[in-house]
Amino acid sequence: MNRWTGKTSGLDEWLHLLKQQPEIMENVTHWHTLPPREAITASLPGDIHPKLVGALGTKGIRELYIHQADAYRAVRRGEHVVTVTPTASGKTLCYNLPVLQSLLENDSGRALYLFPTKALAQDQVAELQELAAAMDVDIKSSTYDGDTPPTVRQVIRNAGHIVVTNPDMLHSAILPHHTKWVKLFENIKYIVIDEVHSYRGVFGSHVANVIRRLKRICKFYGSSPQFICASATVDNPKEHAERLIGEQVTLVANNGAPVGEKHFVCYNPPVVNKQLGIRRSSVLETQRLAGQLLKQGVQTIVFARSRVRVELLLTYLQEIVKNELGTKTIRGYRGGYLPKLRREIERGLRSGEIRGVVSTNALELGIDIGQLQACVMNGYPGTIASTWQQSGRAGRRAGTSVTFLVASSNPLDQYMISNPDFFFNQPPERALIHPDNLLILIDHVKCAAYELPFEAGELFGSEPLEHMLEFLVEEKVLHQVKNRWYWMEQSFPAHGISLRSAAQENFIIIDMTEGSRVLGEVDRFSAPTLIHDEAIYIHEGVQYQVEKLDYPEKKAYVREVDVDYYTDANMAVELKVLHVDKEQLSGELMRQYGEVTINAKATIFKKIRLRTHENIGSGPIHLPEEELHTSGYWFSFSEEAAATKSTNDMQQALLGLANVLVHIAPLYLMCDPLDIRVVPQVKAVHTKLPTIYFYDRYPGGIGLSERLFHVHDELLGRAKSLIASCTCLSGCPACVGPIEEVGLLGKSLALDLIDMAKVPS
Amino acid sequence: MSSLRERMMRLRGASSQNEQPDAKQPASGGDSQTLVRSETDEHHQDGRTDHSEFHAEKHPEVAHVPGPDEEKLSPEWADMRVRLAKTEEGEFLLRETRYPMTYLHGVHRLDELYESVMGLASFELWSEAKSAGARRVTPGTPISPVHPERMLFFDLETTGLGVGAGNVPFMVGLGFVQGDQFVVEQMLIRHPAEERAMLCYLTNKLHAYTHLVTYNGRTFDWPVLSNRLILNGFRTFRWEPIHIDLLHPSRSVWRNTLASCKLSHIEEERLGITRVDDVPGSMAPGIYFQYLAEQDPKPLLGVFTHNEIDMVSLAVLAIRFGHLLGGELGRRVPYPEGAEETLRTGLWLERMGMTDAAEALYARLEHHPAAASQILCSLAERDKKCGNWPRAVLLWQKVVLEEEGALHPNWDAHIELAMYHEHKTKQIRFALSYAETALTLAHTRWAGLRLDAKKRAELDAIRKRIDRLRARLERLHG
Repeated sequence: MNRWTGKTSGLDEWLHLLKQQPEIMENVTHWHTLPPREAITASLPGDIHPKLVGALGTKGIRELYIHQADAYRAVRRGEHVVTVTPTASGKTLCYNLPVLQSLLENDSGRALYLFPTKALAQDQVAELQELAAAMDVDIKSSTYDGDTPPTVRQVIRNAGHIVVTNPDMLHSAILPHHTKWVKLFENIKYIVIDEVHSYRGVFGSHVANVIRRLKRICKFYGSSPQFICASATVDNPKEHAERLIGEQVTLVANNGAPVGEKHFVCYNPPVVNKQLGIRRSSVLETQRLAGQLLKQGVQTIVFARSRVRVELLLTYLQEIVKNELGTKTIRGYRGGYLPKLRREIERGLRSGEIRGVVSTNALELGIDIGQLQACVMNGYPGTIASTWQQSGRAGRRAGTSVTFLVASSNPLDQYMISNPDFFFNQPPERALIHPDNLLILIDHVKCAAYELPFEAGELFGSEPLEHMLEFLVEEKVLHQVKNRWYWMEQSFPAHGISLRSAAQENFIIIDMTEGSRVLGEVDRFSAPTLIHDEAIYIHEGVQYQVEKLDYPEKKAYVREVDVDYYTDANMAVELKVLHVDKEQLSGELMRQYGEVTINAKATIFKKIRLRTHENIGSGPIHLPEEELHTSGYWFSFSEEAAATKSTNDMQQALLGLANVLVHIAPLYLMCDPLDIRVVPQVKAVHTKLPTIYFYDRYPGGIGLSERLFHVHDELLGRAKSLIASCTCLSGCPACVGPIEEVGLLGKSLALDLIDMAKVPS
Repeated sequence: MSSLRERMMRLRGASSQNEQPDAKQPASGGDSQTLVRSETDEHHQDGRTDHSEFHAEKHPEVAHVPGPDEEKLSPEWADMRVRLAKTEEGEFLLRETRYPMTYLHGVHRLDELYESVMGLASFELWSEAKSAGARRVTPGTPISPVHPERMLFFDLETTGLGVGAGNVPFMVGLGFVQGDQFVVEQMLIRHPAEERAMLCYLTNKLHAYTHLVTYNGRTFDWPVLSNRLILNGFRTFRWEPIHIDLLHPSRSVWRNTLASCKLSHIEEERLGITRVDDVPGSMAPGIYFQYLAEQDPKPLLGVFTHNEIDMVSLAVLAIRFGHLLGGELGRRVPYPEGAEETLRTGLWLERMGMTDAAEALYARLEHHPAAASQILCSLAERDKKCGNWPRAVLLWQKVVLEEEGALHPNWDAHIELAMYHEHKTKQIRFALSYAETALTLAHTRWAGLRLDAKKRAELDAIRKRIDRLRARLERLHG
């Protein structure tokens, strides 16, 4: 260590020093060191074109990692392929190699690349163009998205060898206008789908249907392309890819890329109030660790779970390092930022000019920001798969990297931090999609009919197609002549259908401080809780107060303010059961799965003081109620069980148990914690018994509560062990919830309740 | 099936609230299409020619030879003069109406087409110039006239907006000259499965023509037809006519003069045509869907008639532009009355290579009693670009006089003259004086207003100019 500056010579030395700081180490629950790994390589396949060999040579590639070679060979055998590899393992070569080779053999061929975001698409095109230039061949690759100028669109449609786009563009611009893309569809050899793990839930279910449509159009033009998919680590990559593309795929999962030594440190903020089970704020601890790293000059990425957290941490960190580094070297990065700003930040990270970035999971996908040295996660990202992805942002092929997981006080975090084995030994979650959700399916049958009339005998999804077509004929959308169904409606169906569900209908935030400018945007579901009237909206570390939310116009007008609090809103939820599809008795519990209706309304917001996080006031929210029809799973306790407790005790026991369950449910689901919701009822309308309901937050459901119905026993078992092993006395935010919420007996009441269930173990 | 319906209803009931905002979202299609396709029902009160009266006096001659298949169709079809057409790909319906070339449609007679073909040939030069990257036709480029019998007027009625793959043309209208008659031939499909037969018939006809005349056909009718050819197995069909899309010159000339550039509006305002009981094009899809559901052909008559008048009007509009390009301004076509239209017509003619005709219009504008400053400035701008400084200066001076007495003055001409004197005549004193007046006018106009960034920038620019000119003056005179 340099005794004048306090700077260490490198990350290794700093980690060594860290281990000697008891005030840090006493909070470290687990220090896991992943040893460095040598590369496993294979020689370049003999059939690769000399020009391609030459171009790879200029990039220093003279042999392949084993997974790249395997993927290449599988594609050349004509198989659909999914490769599963961690961040920075050279996965793009797995598809670029066979695609470029094929184009060198026959330049009339075409390929379509799909990426979930525009930024990823742009990175990819840059890489492809670089390779084509190095080969000195005329292989044209271009992005085709909302930003593509109309003047060049026609050129791309006719002459682009590799068209790089996103599923939304494919859905609303390319497929409905397929007649302008004859060249592409007649000659398409490969469809590359990267980041397939991100196509899950509602979005994934939509994308699976877009792919059904894509295959239908390819067939019309007489082509049958091969799919090459790439995924981050999930439990079921092969099954997921197969459901997504509706074909058998070959799995390539033997990662041969080298990695440097990696330290994974689990950090649990210290308990500051044992009675209430309150730990120090994870935000403050994250700030402390990230601040130290940044002061050492270690390029660091900080992940936070929400936009508000990102902004809070950004403000704190900029403050800490402003003397050493200047505030411009620490940036925020999240969905609401406009594309131009995001590109600027990505560039800064690659060049090293930006030393630190605080991000939501927006930077979890493979956007090229180079490889950083350290990663600090504020809170468990929600899934094992995401955790590895985020952690993968730090880590170079040679040299040491470190990841800190700073647990928040929520039960899932506390479960993970005290059971690190679960994290290191458990396979990551399953990616779930439900392409046959009737609402989603019907939407895409409409789009497909617009693109090409349906003929008797065609297949599209698992519902009998003719039933759906007849339904659409009755709806006066299709017209049947003999054994064909034609689109006969004035509208353009793809325009009314957004793949990213309602979340994609964003609210725009307009800053009125000086003139008016668009500050950012938030999705529709977040709007009632984030940008209601009087909410404090934080953007790039600056506070704004919402003066007016124009709900019908989807606009929020804000003005810059300087206050010492932020806001947090509550939702009130009502639930009705419409139909029971499955039921099963387990122990003393009746559990059921079926269709439910939810009515939700934002009610009040709280003002919470910065830094101390104390509640300093509240106000009402007046926004329309949202109704949702979806699938749900619920279980009820017996009348005898109900009789043992007063209504008030039962209320608190249910609430405590529900709090734990909803937090650990994501262990079984690869979903955003907000995708699955819970409602406890002391005397449920449906069962007249104490009941806990789970539901999918998407019309028609996307398979989340169905999976929970099946893992019910395990879920309750885990909930019990979490509550029992929590160190608090009578309930804390890390288990059943704070005592203000569940009462002084909340913890024991919840445990009682689980015992009454007599869960078979 | 019923269970699927029930499930859908339940899911929809729940989600309808969520999807409400979508309903507001307009369907696809650019402004141009909405402009043309969604004609509102406007009736012209004081038109010189009333269509019904017209019909009584000079009703078009109807050539109607009943074919052998006609008895197959119900009498309602026959009443509309619709007959069955057969091709190797199947059947569809045809309706033919023949107009004598002496037929007067609004202010023009169809046989004026023979005289306008010389002018219409300029469109070919224009598209050549454009594809070569030029912004105007070189004046005096030799041309040969369009053969009137090789021009095809073309207009589709479709089931939707936009040019997506699912927009189906259920009616195709063609217009062409045959001998001494103008023939409107309309095809209709009784259901979408007849489309292939209709396209088969159409593709066999097209090669007889060298020119395609449409209204917004470049962005709508032609791309829609191309889609349908691809979808119906005519992927290899090639026909590359010279495409004259009359929407483009109409926009150039009437953009600021007419409330809209819809064909029906131009008919009323400039071609003396009034439609009576017209079924607006925007209603056509609904009528067709109703026919599909109920199988009663009668309401389709309105769509036939609408499309038929479109075809004849298209021919008349072609005549109008042909005359303009053929040097008939002031003879077969009256000079535009308004200053704006005079300017726009001149600028358009100039682009099309008709410099003399354009000059004649500019000359009229110079002495136009009611030409607004803005228009004079536009003309001056044009003169400045092509180096006609004397007239540009004259026009600016005219504007300067006008504006200095105006209630809400504009100082663009002052700035132009300041630049002119600074850079061309080097009369810095004049330049300074114009710039200073500009600043005074700006202050007068914006007195008491809160200045936004744009206004502040403009004031700064004037001040900078004044400072620079003063500095130059000092240097000159010590």
